[in-house]
Amino acid sequence: MKIWKIILLIIAIAAIAAAFVVYFFIYSKPHRDYERAKPDLEIAAEDLYRAFIEDEQMAAETFNGKVLLIDGTLSGVEQVADDMVVLYFVFEEGMFGGEGVRCTMLVNHHEQALQMEAGLEIVVKGLCTGFTGTDVILEHCSFP
Amino acid sequence: MMYNRLLTTILLIGLHLAAISQVHLTRNGTIRFFSETPLENIEAVNRQVMSALNTETGEFVFRLPMRSFAFDKALMQEHFNDNFVESHTYPNAMFQGQILDIESIDFSSTGEFNVVVQGELTIKDVTKTIRETGVLNIHEDHIRAQSVFIVEPGAYNIRIPTRYARNIAGEIEVSVDVVLRPQ
Repeated sequence: MKIWKIILLIIAIAAIAAAFVVYFFIYSKPHRDYERAKPDLEIAAEDLYRAFIEDEQMAAETFNGKVLLIDGTLSGVEQVADDMVVLYFVFEEGMFGGEGVRCTMLVNHHEQALQMEAGLEIVVKGLCTGFTGTDVILEHCSFP
Repeated sequence: MMYNRLLTTILLIGLHLAAISQVHLTRNGTIRFFSETPLENIEAVNRQVMSALNTETGEFVFRLPMRSFAFDKALMQEHFNDNFVESHTYPNAMFQGQILDIESIDFSSTGEFNVVVQGELTIKDVTKTIRETGVLNIHEDHIRAQSVFIVEPGAYNIRIPTRYARNIAGEIEVSVDVVLRPQ
């Protein structure tokens, strides 16, 4: 009788531990830390934009969902909202104005980003989420 | 091929829009969706919406990368991209259409106008004609366009695996909110 109680106790503890693991490490696992993530690819910002212009499907397969380290000459900084700062690189004038690469910065890089001026050579790391028809989008961006 | 077709379409519309030069646009519009079930509510936000409105003709377009939808839970975001919308194969969603009766709106002074928008919404490999209501708020230096409508995932070939069927609503509320500025 005592042995059965011990077995049941062990099973109960194992079940609780399994539920804990599933909830915290699978169901509620945190988003990837893109600031600390190692880049999957390094590419010039202009080459990235040209890749999407020349063959969007192939570029999407190559770059979407990847952490990219890009470099290029900054065209400007835009404070879109209180919680959203975008660095952008323009490589062409299209139907909707300047087209290129837009990098949405992580909040803790806003201050540094807002101090930057057009013409600076910069390196930015971020997650490539796709192409809007005018711009390649990088999000969760940081200065390495 | 679909991406090239979409790109060509949007550029042609852009050409037409730009030729008339009454274009207002944004590169950071917002689209949210909300799913409500007894088990859980799921919300996602996309702030990378490229959108343009021609105030002369009423032509209205938006296009967004599906991977830019941000979820509270990382696991939901993974399921959304990998299993539901298959964003690796169908990376964008797009709407191209028209605000009807645009000539009745006075864009020269501030005000709020209820509008009807009709056009084609493309998600994954499905394009459907939709007709929805919305609101245009005319401000001195921008136009804010807002609309809330319902999308049925099944209608756009978004198959929800049986094990998630109780967690995801059959009707998803989609909210569009874009602040458009003169080009």
